[in-house]
Amino acid sequence: MTCAETFDFHEPQWCPGCGNFDILVCFKEALCGLGLKPQEFIMVTGIGQASKLGFSVKCNLFDGLHGRALPVATGINMANHKVKLISVSGDGDYYGEGGNHFIHAARRNLNIAVFAGDNRVYGLTKGQASPTSSPGFVTPIHPEGVGGKPISPVLLALASGATFVARAFSGNKEELSGLMRQAIEHKGFALVDIMSPCITFNKANTFGWFKNRAKPVGPGHDPSSFEAAIKLASAEQDSIATGVIYKACRPAFDARFSALKGETIAARTADFVPGRVRPLFERFK
Amino acid sequence: MKHINIVIAGAAGQGIQSAGEILGKTLLRLGYHVFITHDYQSRVRGGHNFMTLRFSGEPLAASVRSSDYLLALNEESIGLRLGGLGAKGLAFCLEGDKGNHADARLRVLPDSIGPASARGAKFAAVKLSAMLFASLGFPPEILAGSVKKIFGERLKPEILQANLEAVAAVASFIEPIDIRPPSFAPAPSAGRMLISANDAIALGMVAAGIGVYAGYPITPSTSILNLLGTEGPSLGIAVEQTEDEIAALNLAIGASYAGARAACGSSGAGLSLMAEAIGLAGITETPVVIYDGQRSGPAVGMATRTEQADLLSLVHSSHGEFPRAVICPVDHEDSFYLAAEAFNVADAWQVPVFLINDLGQANSESTLEEFDISRVRIDRGLMAPEPAESAPFARYAVTESGVSPRAVPAMSKWLVSCDSHEHDEYGHLTDNPANRVRQHSKRMRKLDGMAASFPGPEIINPGRPVCVIAWGSTVGPLLEAAPTLKEKGIEYSIAVFRYLYPLDPVKVGQALKGFERIYSLEQNYTGQLGKLLRMECGAAIQGHIGKYDGRILTVEDAAGLLESALGGKL
Repeated sequence: MTCAETFDFHEPQWCPGCGNFDILVCFKEALCGLGLKPQEFIMVTGIGQASKLGFSVKCNLFDGLHGRALPVATGINMANHKVKLISVSGDGDYYGEGGNHFIHAARRNLNIAVFAGDNRVYGLTKGQASPTSSPGFVTPIHPEGVGGKPISPVLLALASGATFVARAFSGNKEELSGLMRQAIEHKGFALVDIMSPCITFNKANTFGWFKNRAKPVGPGHDPSSFEAAIKLASAEQDSIATGVIYKACRPAFDARFSALKGETIAARTADFVPGRVRPLFERFK
Repeated sequence: MKHINIVIAGAAGQGIQSAGEILGKTLLRLGYHVFITHDYQSRVRGGHNFMTLRFSGEPLAASVRSSDYLLALNEESIGLRLGGLGAKGLAFCLEGDKGNHADARLRVLPDSIGPASARGAKFAAVKLSAMLFASLGFPPEILAGSVKKIFGERLKPEILQANLEAVAAVASFIEPIDIRPPSFAPAPSAGRMLISANDAIALGMVAAGIGVYAGYPITPSTSILNLLGTEGPSLGIAVEQTEDEIAALNLAIGASYAGARAACGSSGAGLSLMAEAIGLAGITETPVVIYDGQRSGPAVGMATRTEQADLLSLVHSSHGEFPRAVICPVDHEDSFYLAAEAFNVADAWQVPVFLINDLGQANSESTLEEFDISRVRIDRGLMAPEPAESAPFARYAVTESGVSPRAVPAMSKWLVSCDSHEHDEYGHLTDNPANRVRQHSKRMRKLDGMAASFPGPEIINPGRPVCVIAWGSTVGPLLEAAPTLKEKGIEYSIAVFRYLYPLDPVKVGQALKGFERIYSLEQNYTGQLGKLLRMECGAAIQGHIGKYDGRILTVEDAAGLLESALGGKL
């Protein structure tokens, strides 16, 4: 059995040619590259076609509500700050329904790798606009085209305080699995926004469309510079930068708690006896 | 019951809380029983707020309206609160706040009394407290000692000194005719505490072994977030203020999945936001305790006012069907023990457990004997044995009780999968109809087991022809109103419900058997517990006595409402 096969679980049910297949392959490769075992990490997913990736990986999984994967992950981190956390979902989940949670998880610098399969469309509900859909994108709800400005996941993550911000294209598997590996190893909030085609519902942003625009950042880009990252992410038109756009070192969410030093709360729970409340009685005397 | 009732009134920010803290703690240390309620507006400065502080030689479980003393911290308070002062009562104010008031019960403290460094509204609370203490015949050193102990570290040395000099000077101002020592003796006890129901709940959570707590600031539940947050570092509890209540419950669910005892807290407005995640806890069978400090709704309603109107919404909250429990303490002591027990219920049945209170009780403070730690037990429920090798875990194994053994991910070799979708025994999504029936009925069976395991209502004063159903903070006033009403020929039993849902129709039927008429007295319009008893148990509830003005139910309120409802019918 190859390493990747040790993670094989339920057969995915995406359309043939869906970018999610590539994301799944790269994800398993990243896990193997890091030598992670199924019981050594917890996956937290939401709702949407991208989220379904969780069912196809043999591991611990909490498949929560639409948009709410990151608060669940925050709670897992507080109970067990030693376990690796990985979240996989899509653009509608992270940037739409869960937008507030995304901002605050990044602000906290929650120690998690977030893999956002960003196909710029709602696939599971069959073809509505997503927060990243391009202006003018036509759907049955928006026959005259989507208005407004699409969210830039990279700018949003940067502004919110994420300490590892990367973008990838599902068609460039080598780069994607490498970024996933780096994101999992990063201590803090790591986003990999993965441009990925929805071959059924997004006829505008196709595999070719992404392929023609995805341009790996060269050695000229300094990912330790916030200004350079903002500049790069703001300047996108016909080419979209992939690779590590920003990487910084800032204490992760759990580092702030003295309760999360040493042994985890989950491991110490058995020692939490009723008598530990006794010192608090003095406050009320 | 022999008692003295003091009203301290003024604007927000004038030191009502500080005065209450000093007076309450001092009376506690003198060996009295104390009961404090807070009546305040949703503002930081100005407006009209007041506190009632009742003390006695006997335990107290309710507040009364009629007062013996009024400490008016501003002019407006004299006009607004003098009406509640008894004919023989005394009102105290500063010279500058007297205005045109000319009441024989009013005692005005001249500015010339006390040091020049203690002039102005800032010192009103401490000066009027000193007048009160002198009137009660307590030596000023006792109050000075409390001021020093409580404010010693909070105030600048020169301000503290001014306060202490004011206490000494004001004490000698009281005329001998106004010195009225309590007609009752204190009943000292070494371990006694003065504690709010919210703080008792927070302590109960600590005793239960809570590891993670989350919330978003909201009246009246913020004080739990504050206490657990402040004490978290020393106790090893991780507490987070989340971006919203949706995140708070999802966070608690995540923490529980990962092995901690976890809870979140809010008020009805936040519970409405949590509705989606309540269902998530239901279908993923994740134990979690959710605190609801009920306040006047709907929407923002009256943010600082009390109500008991969330019960039916909690019983039905979130779409679809799933088991949950609703538990409500009737007083401060109960708040501690039931908060601790709520975690055992959550773990035993792997359900969301609502621990509810109402704003009036949540904020009110009462003296209690030190909590008995030996009465708290921790039972984490059914856990699966470790496998020899890592393997997917049948988290939702179908059992007769509906409860499947748990395993903690990353703490065990089991691979634990929980899913918000309908799922098979391994937590993998499926909409297979036969599986749906197996899993749904497995979950729903837990309701029968829980109802059977919960104690039925407690009947107080049994054997009367009339029974009044009560839950939460209405129990205390109902108990204390009973002797007064008995003199008027009105007698009633009280059926006290602590475990509000699920209900066991047999237990409820037996408890309510033999009464000629049954009424519910609740702080809501529709009589929600009465409705629930009809719906779940077919109980014959003849009438509902409702109070929904947002104010705390006093002993006089309970007596008045019962007299007008039952008076002519006995």
